[in-house]
Amino acid sequence: MDFAQFQQAPVSVPTEHHSHGNRWDPYVDNGGTSLAIAGEDFVVVASDTRQSNGYSINSRYSPKAFELSNGSVLATTGYHADALKLVEHIEQRAQLYFHKHDRAMNVSAMAQMLSGILYSKRFFPYYVFPILSGLDAKGKGAVYTYDPVGNMERVNYQAYGSASALVQPFLDSQVGFKNQRNADPSRLLERPQAVKLAIDAFTGATERDIHTGDWLDLFIIDQDGIHQTKRELKHD
Amino acid sequence: MEAQFAIAGKDFVVSVTDKNVVHSIVKMKHTQDKTWQLLPMTLMSVCGEPGDTDSYAEYIQGNAKLYSVRNARDLSVGETANFIRGELARALRSRNPFQVNLLVAGYDKEKKEAALYWIDYLAAMAKVPYGAHGYCSYFLYSVMDREYTEDITLEQALDIVKKCIAVIKTRFMIDLPDFTIKIIDQNGTREIEQSDL
Amino acid sequence: MSIMEYNGSAVVAMVGKNCVAIAADKRLGQRALTVDMNFQKVFPITDRTAEERIIEPKTFSNLVSHMLYERRFGPYFVEPVIAGLDKDNKPFVGTASDNLFGMCESLWEPDLEPEELFETISQALLNAVDRDAMSGWGAVVHVITKDGVITRDLKGRMD
Repeated sequence: MDFAQFQQAPVSVPTEHHSHGNRWDPYVDNGGTSLAIAGEDFVVVASDTRQSNGYSINSRYSPKAFELSNGSVLATTGYHADALKLVEHIEQRAQLYFHKHDRAMNVSAMAQMLSGILYSKRFFPYYVFPILSGLDAKGKGAVYTYDPVGNMERVNYQAYGSASALVQPFLDSQVGFKNQRNADPSRLLERPQAVKLAIDAFTGATERDIHTGDWLDLFIIDQDGIHQTKRELKHD
Repeated sequence: MEAQFAIAGKDFVVSVTDKNVVHSIVKMKHTQDKTWQLLPMTLMSVCGEPGDTDSYAEYIQGNAKLYSVRNARDLSVGETANFIRGELARALRSRNPFQVNLLVAGYDKEKKEAALYWIDYLAAMAKVPYGAHGYCSYFLYSVMDREYTEDITLEQALDIVKKCIAVIKTRFMIDLPDFTIKIIDQNGTREIEQSDL
Repeated sequence: MSIMEYNGSAVVAMVGKNCVAIAADKRLGQRALTVDMNFQKVFPITDRTAEERIIEPKTFSNLVSHMLYERRFGPYFVEPVIAGLDKDNKPFVGTASDNLFGMCESLWEPDLEPEELFETISQALLNAVDRDAMSGWGAVVHVITKDGVITRDLKGRMD
């Protein structure tokens, strides 16, 4: 270990120019945060709607959580253009499935398919961190999380995006009951609590993360379908 | 590429260092003692940049002895370790820092306990039950984590040393044929051979 | 990786009603290698029992600020957090650090009593370090009230 590695200036100023010349870079991180919390017979999905690039805000209302044709919701973070293309890709495949089987895809099938779609682009990935939410075959809340190349996991809750470091520990504590003695970690929240925590998580994240804010898209998925509401977050 | 580790019990510390002196790809010597007897009750093992190691150790040894002469009292292990860390931190902020990693082992006669201090070249210091420096630490910590107990005896500690050396011999790329093994307790320091383990 | 993440750690302080709490994890590492699992990171600056001419938290905070700025172009690679109660027991707190911000922003509320503050800071720290591979191995929490300091060791996920 030598000292050279520590000899950079104490504070590095973020610049828009890349140091490694003007190499073509097809990816941008558009910031923003998404989360999902599963309940016994519902799922709460929340995404902020700010779309940014570095210090610039491209849009204050650019939704990154999408209702899909089969009644599930895909919440994304990462590169917005790829997210839009991914939704198209999923819907195309869902359409094919629909015509072939005369039935909408259930969530677990779509979850598996999404993993396949992502991995099919293993060497030029969609730069997207998707969270797929819906009700499973038994009507239970289901949340599937992915990395950009298709690693998949079914979880009870997840936060992704620019404020995930802020929100995930909060969900660990309040939804996963981590570090609490005599708590049942598999206990699922009631709907009002889940909605309250999702909102609390975003008001907190908006306070400290510059890439998160403006508006909150809230989806509650249950037997009756998807209920969407819009709330205001701070615009600064 | 050097191996340096130590294990402390309630009233003893075992210090182990390899004996290789390497320059480029050439082994210049295989009988070097890399430990320094700072005071009768304090032993320091040093590894790092060749040259820095000796000059820093000599500087510390000189000052530890100077303190004894001036004050008619030896520094304790803890005091010595703090002094060593302080000087390393001061040098780190100067134009000529020392790239040395240290283990300071000793027996505190007043507190009637043995102590081991782990200090790295960035002048981070921790009082530890067992410690290691260099590439070997990646192998040795797992062995010591598993084998160490709080009320460890000298025999048990030497057994861990034996296991540590066995791991180095089987898994480490560099050949380290021999080690300086020293035990510090209320009677001072004594050296044992690898074959005596 | 920046040198600020070389040793790895998590330190946090919170204000309550006539009390403050300060807490830190116990890990010391060299990047991914853990060196010590019982490392002290919280240090007492003044002794409340020795009432004669003690430095106020705000004054001390200014002192630290100046000491750091003095080394503006060759800094101390540390991020200190200061917690203390001043003369009229009004709480005062310095700055803290990223997973922790998320926890504190959502868990903390004004005017917590000492025991509530202890629970809040403990949950904030434990859940924050569990999502950080570079810190953890338990924690120590000090709650400072006008009557003295309550110190408790926390056992978390020891990994």
